[in-house]
Amino acid sequence: MSKRPWKNVIKEGFFKAVFGTAAVFSILAVVLIIVFLIYRGSPALQKIGFFDFVFNAEWMSDSRDTYASEVSGSYGILTMIAGSLYAAAGTVTVGGTLGFFTAVFLAKFCPKRIKKPLNQIINLLAGIPSVIYGFFGMRVVVPLLGVFSANGDGSGILAVGIVLGIMITPTVAALSGASIEAVDASYYEGAAALGASREQAVFKTVVPAAKSGIFASVVLGVGRAIGETMAVVMLAGNNAVFPSGLFSSFRTMTANIVLEMSYAGELQAGALAATGLVLTFFILVINLCFNALKGGKMAKKRTAAGRKANPFGRYFNRACQKTRFSASPLYGQNPPKEENYVNNKPAKHSNAAAIAAVGKYVSYAAAAAAVFALLAVVLFVLINGLPHVTGELLFGAFNYGGAPSIAASLLATAMLIFLTSLIAFPIGVFTAIFLAEYTVKGGKFVRLIRLTVETLGGIPSIVYGLFGMIFFCGILNMGTSIIAGCLTVSLMIIPTTVRGTEEALLAVPDSLREGSYALGGGRLTTVRRVVLPPALPGILAAVILGIGRMAAESAPVLFTMGASLKPTPTGYRSSGTTLAVALYALAREGAYVDEAYATACVLVVGVLTLNIISAALGARLQKKLSGGGGIKAQSK
Amino acid sequence: MSQEICIRTENLNLFYGAFQALKNINMDICGREITAFIGPSGCGKTTLLRCFNRMNDLVEGCRSDGKIYIKGRDIGADTDVNALRREVGMVFQKSNVFPMSVYDNVAYGPRTHGTKKGRLLDGIVLESLKKAGLWDEVKDRLNKSALGLSGGQQQRLCIARALAVEPEILLMDEPTSVLDPISTGKIEELCGELKKRYTIVIVTHNMQQAARISDKTAFFLLGEMLEYGATKDVFSDPKNEKCERYITGRFG
Ligand SMILES: Nc1ncnc2c1ncn2[C@@H]1O[C@H](COP(=O)(O)OP(=O)(O)O)[C@@H](O)[C@H]1O
Ligand SMILES: [Mg+2]
Repeated sequence: MSKRPWKNVIKEGFFKAVFGTAAVFSILAVVLIIVFLIYRGSPALQKIGFFDFVFNAEWMSDSRDTYASEVSGSYGILTMIAGSLYAAAGTVTVGGTLGFFTAVFLAKFCPKRIKKPLNQIINLLAGIPSVIYGFFGMRVVVPLLGVFSANGDGSGILAVGIVLGIMITPTVAALSGASIEAVDASYYEGAAALGASREQAVFKTVVPAAKSGIFASVVLGVGRAIGETMAVVMLAGNNAVFPSGLFSSFRTMTANIVLEMSYAGELQAGALAATGLVLTFFILVINLCFNALKGGKMAKKRTAAGRKANPFGRYFNRACQKTRFSASPLYGQNPPKEENYVNNKPAKHSNAAAIAAVGKYVSYAAAAAAVFALLAVVLFVLINGLPHVTGELLFGAFNYGGAPSIAASLLATAMLIFLTSLIAFPIGVFTAIFLAEYTVKGGKFVRLIRLTVETLGGIPSIVYGLFGMIFFCGILNMGTSIIAGCLTVSLMIIPTTVRGTEEALLAVPDSLREGSYALGGGRLTTVRRVVLPPALPGILAAVILGIGRMAAESAPVLFTMGASLKPTPTGYRSSGTTLAVALYALAREGAYVDEAYATACVLVVGVLTLNIISAALGARLQKKLSGGGGIKAQSK
Repeated sequence: MSQEICIRTENLNLFYGAFQALKNINMDICGREITAFIGPSGCGKTTLLRCFNRMNDLVEGCRSDGKIYIKGRDIGADTDVNALRREVGMVFQKSNVFPMSVYDNVAYGPRTHGTKKGRLLDGIVLESLKKAGLWDEVKDRLNKSALGLSGGQQQRLCIARALAVEPEILLMDEPTSVLDPISTGKIEELCGELKKRYTIVIVTHNMQQAARISDKTAFFLLGEMLEYGATKDVFSDPKNEKCERYITGRFG
């Protein structure tokens, strides 16, 4: 009980400063991104006029336009705002429906035996890179739809809706499923006790109780659709006109940036940055809606017991817990729906029961369709690609014009993953430690960091690419180089790392922290010896998921690292093409279809492997904290 | 019966935000005795207990005034809380063994305070487990995860873990409330054994338990200490009317 020993105070303070600095970095990143988009976009907006830019429907860019000269092109993005919204509508129609009914099936109608594997498959498929979906769409969906199209071209809103719909199905299904599962069992039992059939109980009682969670997952799907770039560019046709039918060509805001950025002139580049600003604005609004729906901010106060490590996270758990207490048809103040159950007729014979029964079969069908579609994407790539994965392709020397080899891309991807990991993971993990372990007081600063991290996480990947091109390649004079790609992708990976790590840390019950403090362990000791060891598998899972994303994302590296097949990189200053970008390049050229399939195959296998490892590690975290695994003592 | 005073509070008030959880507590707790805190749920027993090792520091929006002396020394703002907590051990209501081996659980405290030597640690672990009456049950599974122990064993492991840092005072917050009668019996027996060397403050909901094992009993209601004295007096002839009604089971 002496006075505080200075050595410990300094050590504690030092580490707190390290963690805090990492957290501040996240704020800086968001500020930088917004500031530089504005810095690049605002002169163009002034020249074009904000009103004209947003409400003019004609886009005829002219790369000779400068801020000084007369404007000879026209720069209105109304068609593209409409295009993004159309894409979102199509995507949500397909993906929302498939995802919702799949979730209902998995949560309520699925036989126990196949539930777990089915869930795992669906979660796994959420990690397939979007270029793969785009590629699948180009090779399969567009030709199929072409049969029905008047001009024989199947691309357009329908194709985008179907492919992106399949793409967001796992996310919607997982999040909706989590909120349906979180509905208290008493709801179901209450309805059943009143004579409702199983289907009625599910659709009239359980689903309504979970509705805010389900809406939230659909809103998230809208965000993904509006932010999606690669798959859209590959399927939309990309004419800057208002879409007039299911097969009409259209252009989204994201596509606009990708299509024109590489050759943009001064004013044009400014207009594209401004497009990025508008796009970011849309995404931020959608994120706000999502946050409002899922129950607002993360609660500051922790509950000591019973926090499970949920793969969809505590952010979402909150929403689910909230629904549990909100008004329900059975317990709430508004009981109108009870009438159905209380009348003494056997419920089975009523009309409502028949409708609910249809719902059940729709769920079966949706789940089957979703699993079929997702597996089709993977199998299609594997079956067509595997035979062409040859030594020549993997290790052959690079040559312009000849048969392509992806050796250079493999190396570039590995280099990207290596350096990005070194930058992003320490910052992300430290930020999370700061947020989870050093912020009991929940002050303004902490809320600011949390908000910025969430904002950073919501920014679409193409905007990162745009920022990287302006800031790292341009202002910092790195040019198109692997290092610029690494820095750009780091910014994108940090928020997901923070989130995953924080979830793993918060899954460690507070009672363990108290136990350590009560033994005289300081904060640092407690974090290092009691919190981190059990959280480690969860943190590793987040890290590996992050690596998967580095390999999967193409939009952020397209302009910062290199967009077309490049020779073997000689260092971080040379440019390079990642596997995902190589696939994009090969797929769009159309000359080397077999090589494209093989590249897709390598990419899918790599990313799925990383996701499997990540899922396995996540499962271990849960087991460790619930007492399943024996942990070896270090001594004795 | 003049005994050394081990814990003393002077005009202790404690607030959670605007809510006052402890009202002007003045009490002296004697060394090498068992002092029991009783009272209905929410009356502030846990809160007071957590003042003695400053665990309330970790609670957001919690502030207190007044003074607390542990063995004559003020434990106010510039105390080294880690050293304090080493001297004042705590066992929680719900056992909170770490997800490590039995051995590592017990060795956690000594390691934290700088004991590195294997031989020395082995000795401490053995001693502590024996004192907690757990040695025979776990000696063959020291290196297995502590999460595999039964509830009662886990709670005794927590006691062993607390003893391993050689505290002088042991705070126990309803240590048996989630245990079966047999485990409860073992822990009560253990308390009787431990009081020869340690000062024990135990919160309990169980009146029989308080009567059985404690030397002094304090009764709390709504943040106030209404009665405090020798256990046999408190139970046979309570001065406070509310305390009497509580003890005779007429409320709470
Ligand atoms: N962390 C906290 N924040 C706010 N109020 C609290 C907190 N902990 C306890 N309280 C309140 O303080 C009062 C005393 O609680 P506690 O000491 O746990 O009572 P007991 O252990 O006697 O059941 C209760 O009214 C409780 O609601
Ligand atoms: Mg209590």
